[in-house]
Amino acid sequence: MINDILSRAKGSIEKAQSLGELEDLRVALLGKKGELTALLKGLGQLSAQERPKMGGVINQAKGVVQDLLTQRKNNLETIELEKRLLNEKIDVSLPGRHVEMGGLHPVTMTLKRIQSLFVKNGFEVETGPEIEDDFHNFTALNIPEHHPARAMHDTFYFDEGSVLRTHTSPVQIRTMENQKPPLRIIAPGKVYRCDSDITHTPMFHQVEGLIVDTDANFAQLKGLLIDFLRGFFEKQDLKVRFRPSYFPFTEPSAEADIECVICGGEGCRVCKKTGWLEVLGCGVVHPNVLNSVKIDSEHYTGLAFGMGVERLAMLRYGVSDLRLFFENDIRFLRQFK
Amino acid sequence: MNISTTWLREWINPTVSDEVLAEQLTMAGLEVDGIAPVAPYFENVVVGYVVSCEKHPDADKLNLCQVDVGENNKLQIICGASNIRTGLKVIVATVGAVLPNGLKIKKAKLRGIESFGMICSESELGMAEDSEGVSELDADAPIGKNIRQYLDLDDNIIELDITPNRGDCFSVLGVAREVSANYGLPFEMPSISVSVQGTSSVKSRISNTTACPKYLTRSISGIDNTVKTPRWIADKLMRSGQATHSPVVDITNFVLLELGQPMHAFDRKKINGSVEVRNAKSGEKVELLNETTAELKEDTLVIVDDKSVLAIAGVMGGMDSATQPNSTDILLESAFFEPVSIAGKARNYGLHTESSLRFERGVDFAITELAMDRATQLIVEICGGQASDINTCIDEASLPVLAPITITQDKIHKVLGFELDAKWIEEKFTSLDFEISAKTKDSWTIIPPSFRFDIRLPADLIEELARLYGYDKLPVQKLSLDANINVVPEAQIDKYDIMQSLVARGYQEVITYSFISEKYHNLVDANVNKIVLSNPISADMSVMRSSLMSGLLQSVESNQRRGHSNARFFEIGLCFDGVEANKQSNKLAGIVSGSRFNAQWASKTVPLDFFDAKADLESLLELTALAVTFTEDEHPTLQKGQTARIELNGEQVGWIGALAPNVAKELSLPKCYLFEISLSAVLSGSVAKYEAFSQYQEVQRDIALVLNKTTPVAELTDGIKALQQSDFVGVRLFDVYMGENIESGKKSIALNLTYQSLEKTLSDKEVGARIDEVLNLMKNKFSAILR
Repeated sequence: MINDILSRAKGSIEKAQSLGELEDLRVALLGKKGELTALLKGLGQLSAQERPKMGGVINQAKGVVQDLLTQRKNNLETIELEKRLLNEKIDVSLPGRHVEMGGLHPVTMTLKRIQSLFVKNGFEVETGPEIEDDFHNFTALNIPEHHPARAMHDTFYFDEGSVLRTHTSPVQIRTMENQKPPLRIIAPGKVYRCDSDITHTPMFHQVEGLIVDTDANFAQLKGLLIDFLRGFFEKQDLKVRFRPSYFPFTEPSAEADIECVICGGEGCRVCKKTGWLEVLGCGVVHPNVLNSVKIDSEHYTGLAFGMGVERLAMLRYGVSDLRLFFENDIRFLRQFK
Repeated sequence: MNISTTWLREWINPTVSDEVLAEQLTMAGLEVDGIAPVAPYFENVVVGYVVSCEKHPDADKLNLCQVDVGENNKLQIICGASNIRTGLKVIVATVGAVLPNGLKIKKAKLRGIESFGMICSESELGMAEDSEGVSELDADAPIGKNIRQYLDLDDNIIELDITPNRGDCFSVLGVAREVSANYGLPFEMPSISVSVQGTSSVKSRISNTTACPKYLTRSISGIDNTVKTPRWIADKLMRSGQATHSPVVDITNFVLLELGQPMHAFDRKKINGSVEVRNAKSGEKVELLNETTAELKEDTLVIVDDKSVLAIAGVMGGMDSATQPNSTDILLESAFFEPVSIAGKARNYGLHTESSLRFERGVDFAITELAMDRATQLIVEICGGQASDINTCIDEASLPVLAPITITQDKIHKVLGFELDAKWIEEKFTSLDFEISAKTKDSWTIIPPSFRFDIRLPADLIEELARLYGYDKLPVQKLSLDANINVVPEAQIDKYDIMQSLVARGYQEVITYSFISEKYHNLVDANVNKIVLSNPISADMSVMRSSLMSGLLQSVESNQRRGHSNARFFEIGLCFDGVEANKQSNKLAGIVSGSRFNAQWASKTVPLDFFDAKADLESLLELTALAVTFTEDEHPTLQKGQTARIELNGEQVGWIGALAPNVAKELSLPKCYLFEISLSAVLSGSVAKYEAFSQYQEVQRDIALVLNKTTPVAELTDGIKALQQSDFVGVRLFDVYMGENIESGKKSIALNLTYQSLEKTLSDKEVGARIDEVLNLMKNKFSAILR
């Protein structure tokens, strides 16, 4: 009879298609009113000799059934899991649920990069007003009223006699008025010239730099700017040359050219076939400028430099039209992430 | 300034190519903007003589010419030019010539008659943009001569960008001096001799000797100003970009270009009485050579005679007294005007002349006489006539002072970072015409030459030495390391971090112009000071912004027009409430428009609203950990009822709200939400401070309240916080409901309150007491009833 139960149980367990069905079988076989449980209950009617023997057989059968149930349960669970996984399958190629990232303006990206290169060299960042007075924008920078250099600046004026600063150099003056040397600053910001055509916008950005120290010299200025330009363009053998130039607020004054990053110095439209690109102006601060802020020009030497941010951004990112920077067309802006 | 290398090489001729010479000038501080040949390359083009010229038998417009091209060679050439005629000296491209436009000259047949060459115009040789007819050469042009040699076409024009400090280089002499100093080559001044007869018939005097320390005049009488200006002068003028006029005018222009001394020639017969140099009187007028009439200001130096104003000194001569081709007697002027007295004057009258350009920057005050003689010599040579002696007015005391300047080897080392060889220094000073008036083994005192207005300080001498040494050869050193650590306060938030967090929330940075149109000012900034530019680029850029909103609105508008409807922009920039430094402050502003997400499969497209913009701003304010409040208020640009004033510690720092419908309509903009806040308000954070947290369970209670719709929820939550209950952790709003089951004019809100003790787990009773206190406050102060 037990064998009969066992073979029936085996058959039905193997046929069971769900965990529920299997549980029903367990109850029917091993539950309180289950067939094998009933057999155990019936042991009392057997003789003392037969009882242990029969008990062993029934318990063994219970063990077999339990094993069959467990095995079948594991199988069914695996199948059910597979089924569920199949159900929950997704298309992993679908894009993520997202808010599109914005981006910084390329001029800001360039300013940030210039700034970080100098800050690592111990420079502090200073800023100043954009509506300036005549003293800070011109006179203190050794550009007296009738100086021809004023005409070159295409200045925006206000009725009150103030001007929109034509360069970031007034920040030099403001810094030297308020701080004692040694100084090592850069001054990034907007500047304005009354000029608007393909290569000029009436507003643009400059970064000014100033070092005032007892042992500062032109050789260091060259070293610093060569390092900076090579760092900025990430080209360690970038050719840099310095040419004499003229700024009222520096003497000696220089302009720095780099080998054309567009054609590699071969000569192209961007470098006007010269192989060189003018990228910044610099020099030793004119004694008159130091005197105007009461810094002893015998004791201290000042080094100053200034660069156009849009120019560097154009060369770095290959932008061909300056005016794009202020049109704020997102087809342009989105390219800078 | 344009300078012909052929002319320069007549003065000084280093054995290098024009290109190398140009490069050297650039590296010496005379920046070469370009170098261009006078004529492109061609050959087999010669001077020809038209022996005969007849009509082509089969073509009305063609001529059949016999042209002598030398060496007994007569060519038959067909020519269609209207000015071709017998006896003309012409430019002939012979068979085998290749012209700059690529045309190859071959033997050809035109309407049945053979032609053995081409008679050329200037444009066909690439010497002019366009020209009419064939070029007519001087009658004395040697037949058969190679045209390149005859016209000096193997010449380059160097375009120099002369810096304002180097007024002395606005002449061939000046550039020759530079070349001399750079190459260590000597050069000679042209030999000048003038035979003088009698004294000048015009008296002159200077009333303002500060402005004009030196004024020379000379009469030349009996000239013939109708002769042709010799080609050697005309070519030089044209190659320097100057038009030719009459010989006298051409010669004064020639001397200006050669020696850098601007000169003027008056028609002697138009001068009434004597000549005076003085300041203009109010109301005086003069008709100038450019046919405009200048109303003179009192700060302007003029040349006058007994009756009228003859010229604006150093700028431009008057029409009435100008030398004409029929003038026979002239009064030549050569003067020194102080740069400051001329600076800006030409511009005041809308003029820019070769003369003012030079006087503004400084003309050599020792060359006045030489220039006078040079011009006299050429005029007498070319036009004939009798020159008088020079009438000199001079105030020595008003001439620029050439004070000695001392430079030491120490100073050179301090500025350049190394020492220069003493012998080399002296050599260079000498080559620059600097007079060494005293020296020791390591110091030199020099007196600058009269033409160098830029040499006044030791620093100027160092620059001279540095540029002649070559900036590129100067040593390179590392900046000495600054041992100080720059301390940035930890509580100060980096501007770029703020920007980056907006970028992460989908904002694109824009940079807009700081000046806006009056229309935008009135729409956006109407309540603030209008700061107007005196000389704006255009009306659209005439008022300084006091807010970033106008730029952001324009950015949305322009992108919208291009079909990009979703916008999230921000800008950081200075805004202006006055011209004083303390009225200029940085603001941060943002604008959102369109839908919350770009259309995508995973989220529904939901229109952006006030709370999207507010969430973005709040995310920035969370960095500052400062108490910022939003209070309903009104702003002219923003929509009433959807606008909040932002306050920090009771001080207004910004605004947030929906764009006002009338502004949106005016600017054709869609629904936009804007915020603007003072940048300093989002940059000041705080340093974190650890507080112990509880190990015991926290208890949360939710309450639902019904209250008037108009009561701001922030007042309720602030009220709860103000109770300062013990073990209070926080209150959180998690639902706002209006509609069914809620009386109209009322709203239902749900608050979640959290309590937690550091010492124990709070009992229901303990929490209940606190909740009761909250409910009492809600009921009594805000008429908010538990639902």
